[in-house]
Amino acid sequence: MMAFYFGQLVEIFPFFLKGLWMTSKIAFISLVSCTLIGLVLGIFRSSNSIILRHLVGVYVAFVRGTPFVVQIFIIFFIFPEWGIQLEAFSAALLAMAIMGSAFICEIVAGGIAAIPKGQWEAAASSGLTNLQQLRLIVIPQAMKIILPPLVGQYVLLIKDTSVVSVIGVMDLTRVGWVTVVRIPEGLMVFTLVGALYFMISYPLILLSNYLERRMAV
Amino acid sequence: MIEFKNVNKWFGKLHVLNDINLTIPKGEVLVICGPSGSGKSTLIRCINRLEPIQKGKIIVNDVPVHDKATNLTKLRADIGFVFQQFHLYPHMTVLENVMLAPVNVKKIAKSKAEKIAMKKLEQVGLTEKSGVHPAQLSGGQQQRVAIARGLAMSPKIMLFDEPTSALDPEMIGEVLDVMVNLVSEGMTMCVVTHEMGFAKKVANRVLFMDEGAIVETGTPDKFFDNPKTDRAANFISMILTH
Repeated sequence: MMAFYFGQLVEIFPFFLKGLWMTSKIAFISLVSCTLIGLVLGIFRSSNSIILRHLVGVYVAFVRGTPFVVQIFIIFFIFPEWGIQLEAFSAALLAMAIMGSAFICEIVAGGIAAIPKGQWEAAASSGLTNLQQLRLIVIPQAMKIILPPLVGQYVLLIKDTSVVSVIGVMDLTRVGWVTVVRIPEGLMVFTLVGALYFMISYPLILLSNYLERRMAV
Repeated sequence: MIEFKNVNKWFGKLHVLNDINLTIPKGEVLVICGPSGSGKSTLIRCINRLEPIQKGKIIVNDVPVHDKATNLTKLRADIGFVFQQFHLYPHMTVLENVMLAPVNVKKIAKSKAEKIAMKKLEQVGLTEKSGVHPAQLSGGQQQRVAIARGLAMSPKIMLFDEPTSALDPEMIGEVLDVMVNLVSEGMTMCVVTHEMGFAKKVANRVLFMDEGAIVETGTPDKFFDNPKTDRAANFISMILTH
């Protein structure tokens, strides 16, 4: 029987590849948008303006303190009541951007906070503007601190994309669900799903380990 | 050139600058000394507004530093600042450290800025180190690079905040030599330091601070040999027996 199902699984493998493609697409777009937004938020979080700092603080606390699945539901099911109607794919990207940027914001803010005050002062003393101090002196140094945990966060974000399946996006996880209905061999189906996720995240795990080792030297 | 008028500053409840009145004319070399916590570092950090003041006026090169609307970038470009802990940029080479402000603040072309930077490095005797990173230099060498970095902007004023206090004794001389050379070029300088030899050799005036106030001023010889106040006498005997 198992051999029969295995044959069927091979037959519908292109369906899995489609799911893999969707997951990769969401992951890639999310990583880019989360990094950009997270970088800006992290800079706001470290700014001199108390208002800006606290505003971002509240955002981060809210996002980190609620389950991702609930956030997606709010965006997909509640937003339409307020007149914001998004299709599943866009809603998934928006939810990922909001959730991921909050985590990356904290990593960036932590990296910036680790740069000694004297670096800012030296740069300010020579006449650099606030933005130049950040761009030329602080961010390049903070990047070395930020990079290893950032790549680690990427791995988490890639795995978190599986949650978007709950609103009907045909990603790898949803492909698994749909398949299990036709091929009632759950272990086999979801082992394949897991293996495909692992294929994307493992290189990043290796990269993260490498960066961490290099930092320690 | 630098003028303090009834300057007051508080850190919370602590009164760190207590009604400071001070005029530093062009070309003067002023040495500021006093026990730790007396406000001397705070005083010179107010000149380029690394520290804001709460009351009074500070005028530098006719620019009102106390005024919140003042363009700090332009003010600071004319004032070199040397820190106790050097604060060189560790991710850049020595040459890049010195070139950074001329290129990004004054918008000087890179090739020209490099020439200026090399000239300043020559002035502090470190041309052969232009390609290395700060971490590969000794403390004395790092501080000389920091001085070159300040000089690269052709400042009108140089401020030194305990420039030799973080150095091993055998490296203090090389930094002081560079500073003495600057004096001979007519640079206006404010130096927070306890180096009596340096003060006696080049300072026009010594200013003694305690508890946020200027307690005594005088020529270096008079101040160190015949202090007027007990507090100054106490302080001098302490740095002498040190």
